[in-house]
Amino acid sequence: MTQNDPTGATLSAAHSVLVRAAAVVALIGLWQMLVLAEFWPPVVLPGPGRVWDQLITASDAGNGQGGYAGSTVAERLAVSLRRVGYGSAYGIVIGVGLGLVMGLVPLVRAVAEPFVTFLRALPPLAYLSLLVIWFGIDEEPKVYLLVVAAFPPVAVATAAAVTGVNRQYVEAAHALGATRLGVVATVVLPASAPEILTGVRLAVGVAYSSVVAAETVNGADGIGGMVLNAQRYNQTSVVLLGLVVIGVTGLLIDTAVLALHRAVSPWRGRA
Amino acid sequence: MAEPLVELTGVEHRYRAKRTEVPVLGPLDLRVDRGEFLVVVGPSGSGKSTLLRLISGFERPSTGEVLVLGRAPAPGRDVGTVFQQPRLFPWQTAGGNVGTALRWAGVPRADRPQRTRELLGQVGLAELGARRTWEISGGQQQRVAIARALAARPTLLLMDEPFAALDALTRERLQEDVRSLTDGDRGVVFVTHSVDEAVFLADRVVVLSDRPGRVALDLPVPLPRSGVPADQLRGSAEFAALRGEVAGAVRAVAV
Repeated sequence: MTQNDPTGATLSAAHSVLVRAAAVVALIGLWQMLVLAEFWPPVVLPGPGRVWDQLITASDAGNGQGGYAGSTVAERLAVSLRRVGYGSAYGIVIGVGLGLVMGLVPLVRAVAEPFVTFLRALPPLAYLSLLVIWFGIDEEPKVYLLVVAAFPPVAVATAAAVTGVNRQYVEAAHALGATRLGVVATVVLPASAPEILTGVRLAVGVAYSSVVAAETVNGADGIGGMVLNAQRYNQTSVVLLGLVVIGVTGLLIDTAVLALHRAVSPWRGRA
Repeated sequence: MAEPLVELTGVEHRYRAKRTEVPVLGPLDLRVDRGEFLVVVGPSGSGKSTLLRLISGFERPSTGEVLVLGRAPAPGRDVGTVFQQPRLFPWQTAGGNVGTALRWAGVPRADRPQRTRELLGQVGLAELGARRTWEISGGQQQRVAIARALAARPTLLLMDEPFAALDALTRERLQEDVRSLTDGDRGVVFVTHSVDEAVFLADRVVVLSDRPGRVALDLPVPLPRSGVPADQLRGSAEFAALRGEVAGAVRAVAV
């Protein structure tokens, strides 16, 4: 299998993995060198070894602190992923539904588009206060925050994809006796799937990057909560650990969505 | 006289462009009988594709009346269409495309696999049902498109320059296969630029004039439909004579 880009340049899978691994090693090496050079004191920039030790400590439920401040890294990650999972899932369902209607009904698009764009422009922290006033400080506002962050990119991508479906396929379907619903289910949705999944990829990314914001209010049990807590006590290595965990899992999730994207649209660029 | 399948009476069609109306077709009277293979030839812009869109019900005439089986046509009812491009759904396999058409035609789920195989077999692709549409050649794609258009057993088949994008050899093979499509009482209206193709396929050739398209020639083609090998037919004196007559009419209407 090769990874294609539009210029026709390809990189074999083995090659690609090797290059990526080398880049990660180089980055960690650079980090270590900066630490060894002692430009900054360790409390400002702890080394990779220190962060690794922190991972081991914070993952040990029997260390007297129950990991870090009551929960292990894995438990915290699970809590945050659950929030991201619910937030993204609801966001995707709402986004695909709204985007579909926006793409099919020009009037709805004209009405809804400014609102969706408005929401998209707001940073999640800005509307968190409002959600807390409305829904309290429990689980709901956190998930709602992620929903509000996740659905606009999906709605925009879906609406654009639906509007851009090749009219020739739609006409062919009508010529074969398809009903309106049949055209939507059998032609419009599959034809739009690649672009919709691009929106989903963006949405999951936005939801994940917003989870830290969502956990600023009564969210100490999550991975973002850990970062905020550590920041309060100047535990730079814990902050860095949190960032690395969020970054690496985010990368894995994105890889999974990308694999799904490729799996549902093998025909892209060939038809 | 056979019952008319298609009847166009006093049909004119104009496209609205900015503030003016551009006449593209007519006035035109035309009738297609059951079991008849009508080929429409004409220069670009003579309204050949518009004629098919009027018959399939994708457009309504500006004036006059179009009737298919005695009523105003609607897309997907009674009429199958094969376009210039196969327009297969690339997210489905070749067989999946035919299966979808069968579903839309109301064929019960249990009967679809068997019918899909039959239809693909009819166009010589029985083995390729599981292939992705982009894995098969352009000629095979167009064969699948024909199988798909036949799924609902349409009484009328419209073909809009279906072989224009294919190489000469593939084109000749498909022409030979398509000649048998009027078996029974199905009618075919086939649009082409090629005089050879027209005379080879048709029971009757209609030559349309330059825009707005009107009937410039309506010529019966009394060549045998079966029993004569294709090469022999193409090489015959009758074929050459009819070809000459149609080519002359096409030259006369081309600007």
